[in-house]
Amino acid sequence: MLRASISSMWLAAAWLASFTLIASPGATADETCNSPYIGNLIKGQEDYVYVWTLGIEGLGDGSDKLVTIDANPASKTYGKVIHKVSVGRRGEAHHMGLTDDRRALWAGGLDDSRIYVFDIAKNPAKPRLVKTITDLSAKTGYVGPHTFYALPGRVLVQGLSNSQDRGGVTGIAVYNNQGKIVARYPMPTEGGGDGYGYDIAINPKKNVLLTSSFAGKQNYMTSLGKLVKDPEAMKHFGNTMVLWDLKAMKPTKIFSVPGAPLEIRWSLNSGDNWAVTATALTSKIWLIKQDAKGDWQAQAVADIGDASKIPLPVDISIRADGKGLWVNTFMDGKTHYFDLTNPEKPVQTFEKVTGKQVNMISQSWNGERVYISSSLLANWDKTGTDDEQFVRAFHWDGKELSPAFEVDFLKEKLGRAHHMKLGSKALKMAFDDVPGRPPLASR
Amino acid sequence: MNAGLLVVASLLSAPSGVAVQDVGKADELGFVPPAPGSYVLQHILRAPEGPVLDVRGQPRRLSRFTTGKITLLSLIYTSCGDGSGCPLASHLLAQLRERADGNEKLRSRLRFVTLSFDPDNDTPEAMRVYADGYLSGRTGPPWNFLTTRSRRELVPVLNGFGQDVWMAVDGSSEKAGKLPHLLKAFLIDRHGWIREIYTTSFFQPLVVLNDMTTLLLEEQH
Repeated sequence: MLRASISSMWLAAAWLASFTLIASPGATADETCNSPYIGNLIKGQEDYVYVWTLGIEGLGDGSDKLVTIDANPASKTYGKVIHKVSVGRRGEAHHMGLTDDRRALWAGGLDDSRIYVFDIAKNPAKPRLVKTITDLSAKTGYVGPHTFYALPGRVLVQGLSNSQDRGGVTGIAVYNNQGKIVARYPMPTEGGGDGYGYDIAINPKKNVLLTSSFAGKQNYMTSLGKLVKDPEAMKHFGNTMVLWDLKAMKPTKIFSVPGAPLEIRWSLNSGDNWAVTATALTSKIWLIKQDAKGDWQAQAVADIGDASKIPLPVDISIRADGKGLWVNTFMDGKTHYFDLTNPEKPVQTFEKVTGKQVNMISQSWNGERVYISSSLLANWDKTGTDDEQFVRAFHWDGKELSPAFEVDFLKEKLGRAHHMKLGSKALKMAFDDVPGRPPLASR
Repeated sequence: MNAGLLVVASLLSAPSGVAVQDVGKADELGFVPPAPGSYVLQHILRAPEGPVLDVRGQPRRLSRFTTGKITLLSLIYTSCGDGSGCPLASHLLAQLRERADGNEKLRSRLRFVTLSFDPDNDTPEAMRVYADGYLSGRTGPPWNFLTTRSRRELVPVLNGFGQDVWMAVDGSSEKAGKLPHLLKAFLIDRHGWIREIYTTSFFQPLVVLNDMTTLLLEEQH
């Protein structure tokens, strides 16, 4: 009891401290991979890992679902699934994002282009589905909502494809937090732009937004085995990154970054002016940085594994101090750690096979806890006994990843574990006792 | 020292007595912002409606203060002791108001509003005292200080703005008299549409002035 009490006090203190930080111009981000506009930083012990999970036909209810895992070692249910919310259908569940007020998780389906809004404020242990947005395609022509990135009062939704030819030309939709469409911005197709999209990452201090590029629905809904044997299809992957003027939401520079640049992470270290990405098909780390004249440049700075074997780098996670980067490679199931002390010369200092297939990776703010999930895409995941589906938690001491807990998503009849976000119960909404306070859904 | 820094220097000691951060550097942007009128501000959502009280305790409708002029509204509580929170927000509003006072085109088209989210303590009289600290001896566009009669009347307004206020589950924030929140200010056009929301990372005076001018140009066209 004493342990739990101390833990709660520490959590609350960490939460309150986080407000001070978010109100300070020096603070830039949440758990290292989120939008810098998200409040309520979790810099202490997270209580939950939310997992956006793809349904598997014949397994459990077969539907996509949001799974909550207890991640607090002080809890009696540590490492266990404590809640799940099924959306009642399969739509290729993929990524999630928090709103700036951290009241809601937005989660998308790459196949059906639905966007689910889960309330995580009322009871963080038991998220509730409060809204389903179905107008992305009708209102914008974009499909395959991938990245959900918070702006104050809004969510940027990066599409992967379009409803016309299901190719990679797409755009960014902007919704307000109430779920109403506000604006749309096509990815540039001129001046070297391929029109493709994937991830979004903002550096407010530089008034820049970076985007990366992947592939259209024709490709990501085709099995990987079939796709790699189709030379024409393999031509249709993104090869660019785009720098945008954030305030104006206008592209200002297009970089040639061959081989499908995926996740983008800005260094959160105060004063740094660079971001990194990893290219899936060419297996490289790229650095996007201002040069001495203040011009933005992109350059390949490191190899990830043996590119000739196509290890397929997928997710990356940067340390809060910008000094290290985790990289998962899907095909060989390896988790790599790169020393980023010199971002122009990343050095791999650690690697370990953490699964037969690994995709997403998230770390706690202090870098001591690392979470890994297994699924890439329903049609790209491995088959047979290699098709493990899990969330594995590790302790990281700077030298070794030590297992903390594991949830077998097949044994638990959940599905394919994909994107993860961290949650906390340290704060609650003020004035929540006010009679008639409208729920999130009706706001 | 340029005029902008002189303004900042004169405001560093906030009327609330809380030391605020030196925002003289806020205009030392790490980028060149786009020119006013060269971009379009999104119509994010409608500013909410609801009953409020002015500093004389007169009941008003909030829309009276969010329509008809370009409005910059911030939500605060007067006992906030976080120098990078509410005092900073009011400090920036004061700075922007002073700059607008020197801009003939903006001066007559702008309004500033400070709305409390602590009706338990921020009575109309408390807001009057708070307002005096920022208005006394200074000129500029109108700056209205508002509060609400009760939490019941406040909450729909907070929800309408998307301004969340939190409490520590263990009661520590309440015990300390703190209302943790994310600093937000709202730029509202004369039709009552919220066109930009500034959190700390966005709340740069030069950018806000550009946004105000952009709305002004939009009205003229």
